[in-house]
Amino acid sequence: MKAGRLHWVVGAVVAAGAVCVFFPFFWMAMTSFKTVPEIQRVPLQIFPDRWGNLDNYREVFQRQPFARFLLNSALIATVSALSSVVVSSLAGYGFAKFRFPGHAVCFFAIVGILMVPFQSVVVPLYLWVNRLGLVDTYAGILAPDLVSVFGVFLMRQSIEVVPTDYIDAARIDGASELGIFWRVVLPSVRPALATLVIVKFMWTWNELFWPLVVVNSPTMKVVTLGLVSFTNMYFIEYNLVTAAAVLSIAPVLAVFLVCQKWIVRAVVLSGLRG
Amino acid sequence: MRRLTWCSLALVLSVAPLVLAPAPSTPQTKKLVYWTHWEQNPEFNKFYETRGKDFAQKTGWEVQVVTVPYQGYEAKYLAALVGKSGAPDIYMGMTHHWCGQYDFCDRMPAELAKTWDENLPKYMVGVGKWKGARYGIPIEHGNFQQMYINVDLWKKAGLDPDKPVKTLDDWLAAMKKLTVLDAKGETTQAGFALRHKGHPVGITDKFLPFAHAFGARMLSPNLEQATGFANSADMVAALQFYQDLVQKHKVASLAFPTPEDAFGQKRGATIFRESWFFGWVKKNAPDVTFKVVALPCGKACPGAGNLFPWTNLVYKNSPNKQAAWEFMRFISNAKDDLDQHQAQGILPVWTANLESGYVKARPDYQSTQDMLKQPVPPEYYHPKSNELATAFGEAVVAALYGKGQPKPLLDEAAAKMDRVLKD
Amino acid sequence: MARQRRAGFFFVLPALAYFGLVFLVPLVESVIGSFYRTVPGGESRFVGLRLYAKVLSDPTFWQAVANTVSLLVMSVPTTVVLALAVALGLHRLASLRWRSAWTAMYFLPFSVSLVAAALIWQWMYDPIYGFLNHLLGQVGLPTQKWLQSLEQVRPSLALVNVWVRLGFDTIIFLAALQAIPTEYYEAASIDGAGPARALRHVTLPLLNPQIVMVTMLELIFNFKVFDTVYATTQGGPAGASQTVIMLLYDTAFKYFRLGDASVMAVFVFVSLLLVTLLQWRLFRRQVEY
Repeated sequence: MKAGRLHWVVGAVVAAGAVCVFFPFFWMAMTSFKTVPEIQRVPLQIFPDRWGNLDNYREVFQRQPFARFLLNSALIATVSALSSVVVSSLAGYGFAKFRFPGHAVCFFAIVGILMVPFQSVVVPLYLWVNRLGLVDTYAGILAPDLVSVFGVFLMRQSIEVVPTDYIDAARIDGASELGIFWRVVLPSVRPALATLVIVKFMWTWNELFWPLVVVNSPTMKVVTLGLVSFTNMYFIEYNLVTAAAVLSIAPVLAVFLVCQKWIVRAVVLSGLRG
Repeated sequence: MRRLTWCSLALVLSVAPLVLAPAPSTPQTKKLVYWTHWEQNPEFNKFYETRGKDFAQKTGWEVQVVTVPYQGYEAKYLAALVGKSGAPDIYMGMTHHWCGQYDFCDRMPAELAKTWDENLPKYMVGVGKWKGARYGIPIEHGNFQQMYINVDLWKKAGLDPDKPVKTLDDWLAAMKKLTVLDAKGETTQAGFALRHKGHPVGITDKFLPFAHAFGARMLSPNLEQATGFANSADMVAALQFYQDLVQKHKVASLAFPTPEDAFGQKRGATIFRESWFFGWVKKNAPDVTFKVVALPCGKACPGAGNLFPWTNLVYKNSPNKQAAWEFMRFISNAKDDLDQHQAQGILPVWTANLESGYVKARPDYQSTQDMLKQPVPPEYYHPKSNELATAFGEAVVAALYGKGQPKPLLDEAAAKMDRVLKD
Repeated sequence: MARQRRAGFFFVLPALAYFGLVFLVPLVESVIGSFYRTVPGGESRFVGLRLYAKVLSDPTFWQAVANTVSLLVMSVPTTVVLALAVALGLHRLASLRWRSAWTAMYFLPFSVSLVAAALIWQWMYDPIYGFLNHLLGQVGLPTQKWLQSLEQVRPSLALVNVWVRLGFDTIIFLAALQAIPTEYYEAASIDGAGPARALRHVTLPLLNPQIVMVTMLELIFNFKVFDTVYATTQGGPAGASQTVIMLLYDTAFKYFRLGDASVMAVFVFVSLLLVTLLQWRLFRRQVEY
């Protein structure tokens, strides 16, 4: 069966690609179990000498309050993801299905935010956050991350393909605009919503530059700052950086696996599929 | 659907108070905030807090140390120092940047300045000063490099590690003996582990000992001109020598990783590095037997050079600057200097401490003495030092990679540096 | 009709208000800053368009632009095409479990911070300790200098960028693919179209909004690349990997020339705006239902 063989080949190529993409993580995990002399050993050795070598992990927690960092990052990323989903989907719907005057300009103004290098607004932004007394607080760290431009973009693109007939039908039935949004539009873009939650969560989780500028106390630091503390002016402590990176990926991976199941389920359950 | 709504609402309501809450409030002790980006020296940084507790007993002021990542520290410092209210009281940085380019430093009280002027090694007296006035306290011997040699490799090459090479010519001959080439003419073992990666400022830093050994200097003595100095005949000769190491004699290789890794892996027999390096070697490459000797001299001696002089500075707009200077006075003595640097395993700064038991027991004791006897090399404490060193470093890197000849590269760099200086 | 238009505006208002407050004000301050220069001592002096003339005539700046464009040309098409291919492949997989597993693997790079990704890749690219040269050695190929070679540094960095972004774009395409009603494919196969023609005439046009969006996002991301370069090559060797944003950062914070940096920021913004507007016009097609 030609189709069957093609199917098999496609599957194999996808799988091979996935393994290639995954390999650096495997490498990172292996490095996190090695001692420093092992890392520097030539010829290269892929597997660590001792598989259960958790010394690097222990040292990460000893040197920095890493558990606190994980908690901070989790809190900030969650709030950021939730608030992004709400505001972005509202805005995406507004841009996708309504033609109010100036809608194109507004949309490009929002997308334009992405085109501004953050390095050039960081000092003015910091000064404003400072004036509001939000330096070194959760609110301060969240300030630039509450809404995602990508989210507005994604929601707009996803809601655009929702058949307008359904929306018009609901309007004729007398539903309020917000009701239509909640009952007709949102359920049909569940995969995109889940995608946005994951993406925004991860993006905020991995932010470095803004937390670097706005955080001072060790108890308010986030995971990325903890990771970068194992590098310095002179050298990089690969054994600790990789251990910290593995620790920082685990929660994010968990969120992803949960949300990914939701994407798949949402597609199966959604009434708009054929 | 409705359950989802209530769930999400509940989640938001439970999270909101946490987010809107202010930072955990600390008990009402007065705190002096100290910012540093020296994350590789935690013991050194902790010392401020420990001594701060003693200081609190005297005055009621504690010291809180905030470590900032080195990557991006300039942005954080600038934002905070411009913002005033979130700024540190004391911070670690380069005097000619924060006091020269900007006006963020408080001038040191006269008697404290005198104490430091009297107790620093002569090459360090200028560190922490701007236009003759002292603002900062130097905290380390900067990037004054020394020569680390791999004893085993030297012996194997037929060289005597106890008779260090004193001139650049002898040094080059030794490097040639230490280099092992393979069948294709590629370097498998380099005589010299050379720095060729990273920001051009770092490249300049590593090249300057060679430049100074040839009697050249990057800028005029009054730091106002580059042409005629950065592209002088001596500098061209120095860069030619440096380029030949890689391109002609192959005693250094661009295919090698960072020089520290190369030295630790016994692929580089010699490296020029600062005093903190032997701690790194002991930890990361414990099977390397090494020795520290003074840098070789050419027309002149490299001396104890210093492109990144780190100093402790007091913020000019800090409401607590009186207390900050009190604390600085409190720890400005030989014993504190020795204790602090010994805790971290780096060289103390007070001249008196350079003869202490701790320093005498270090592998770089004799070489440090030898280097400090050499004349003070040129200094480049200019507010635009980063930009100048970058332009210069770009010429050096281009030469190393064979992207041009030293003279035209240096002419171009000098012109660029002059444009920067005149701007 | 008017009620609808008003409703549309109110839907958009929260996002507009937020961005206006948080980004517009600092952005305006930054643009105003491009007309001032900081003199030693910290004062700001108004200089009009002088900084624009200075930056736009600086060969280092244009070299950085050239480097950035070169990186873009290597990363963006590769990422978009590969992501599309992978998404199509994943979509065809019948087994949900395998699809989830492979998707998770492709998406994993997005879960790690750019700095960590850069450091891991730097280690893998290392000429002596790196895995890539080890692999090449095992199969008898000559070892490469990767990040330490003038010719290879940009492709090497481009590869890192593709690796980081691939999963993200794949997921977007996958979500869009899953939203295409099967009726369209049924209709196409009734018309006698094979899988290739179905791809060209059903799938790709319906994915057009996502393709446009992904390409725009990749353009913007790759133009603004900073962390990967800063954590690895710092613009070296010999300026071969210095991107516009790296130069911007150095100019603002290492050389203390905030005005010049603001000029560069304006340049980045205007360039990206022009490019994306162009792309939007050229490739955007209204899909009728």
